[in-house]
Amino acid sequence: MMQDLTAEEVERYADGEIAPESLPEIEAHLRDCSRCANAVLGVMQMKRAVRAAMPRFTPKRPLVLRKRASQTFVWFAAAAALIVIAIGSEMLVLSRNTSARELADLHSTILASANPIDVVSTDRHTVKPWFEGRVPFAVNVPDLSATPFRLIGGRVVFWHGRPGAYLLVSKGAHKISLFVFESLPSLGSTPQMTIDEWRANGLTYVAVGDVSRDDLEALRRAYGG
Amino acid sequence: MTEGPTFEALALPLFEPLYNYARWLARDAEEAEDLVQETYLKAFRGFGSFTAGTNFRAWIYRILRNTFLTSRSGLRGTPQVSIDDDPDRFEGLAEAATPETIFFSRANAAALQAAIEALPLPFREVILLSDVENFSYKEIAETLSIPVGTVTSRLLRARAKVREALRGSK
Repeated sequence: MMQDLTAEEVERYADGEIAPESLPEIEAHLRDCSRCANAVLGVMQMKRAVRAAMPRFTPKRPLVLRKRASQTFVWFAAAAALIVIAIGSEMLVLSRNTSARELADLHSTILASANPIDVVSTDRHTVKPWFEGRVPFAVNVPDLSATPFRLIGGRVVFWHGRPGAYLLVSKGAHKISLFVFESLPSLGSTPQMTIDEWRANGLTYVAVGDVSRDDLEALRRAYGG
Repeated sequence: MTEGPTFEALALPLFEPLYNYARWLARDAEEAEDLVQETYLKAFRGFGSFTAGTNFRAWIYRILRNTFLTSRSGLRGTPQVSIDDDPDRFEGLAEAATPETIFFSRANAAALQAAIEALPLPFREVILLSDVENFSYKEIAETLSIPVGTVTSRLLRARAKVREALRGSK
């Protein structure tokens, strides 16, 4: 018959950490040795008592409520700054460079929010219909599966009184904000970010970000531009 | 194009357990929320360095813990462990854990909780991770960046300390 279990073996047994090959011998010993069986029982009782005695805390602020939780993880993604802005052709009297800066700021503001997106889905067939009735145009959500980009979700935004669709897209660790507006002027540039503009399907797309021009061009191709 | 699970898929289910753990570490609701937020921020930014297929839970708990340790209350609350109180030094188990010494009733749940709260961090966290969060030794080892053998000995000492405290409270 094996010797009494060591203290560590008692702990490991109670914690379910005994290697499978050692289990038969230890269990045979526990059947015969009341001293060791008591020790194991003691640790098991203690584990159960600890679990029961320790209240589980749950967060109180909405930020950490279950449903909202799925939307909160991106609030801190402001570091990744790439904005793609799809805008319509109607002109606003705005300085081009000011517009670019404002949208860059809007991008940062949204990503810094506790709830940057309202529809969380990687499925474009979920995100696209979500915008129906929320913005006055069809939101183009292309299939990104063959690209390095991934859809995270979306929300509605307002800029200069106009409703727009906002899509959050990632490329690796970088977060990409995609604004889709009807009827906005083309943008200028901001010194902090790379900017790329193109037009397709009656919309103007403007990409802004701290990524390379190649990345912006890849995104342009993904959006059919 | 094949990719591992997204950060969202891995991290969101851990939101409440992480908060709970943060709450026990920081002992303060507001600070726990800040800790969790900062943890998610760091984890999100560092997700590129996470190796798919390894243990994400241990990875993000480790970030939370390191964030706590470098926070103000973490620095304040966890002074250097003295040599006499080295969490990994354990000279045998003199006492056997018998049902008499560890009889836990509902009546002393409060005492048990107080005993755990009073433990120095290295002991408190192994008990929390093992008994409350149901971490395996391997996960605890990864979370705390210590060898698995150290997890075993630290848990042993932590439980011995709790028993000691409970005996003292009777």
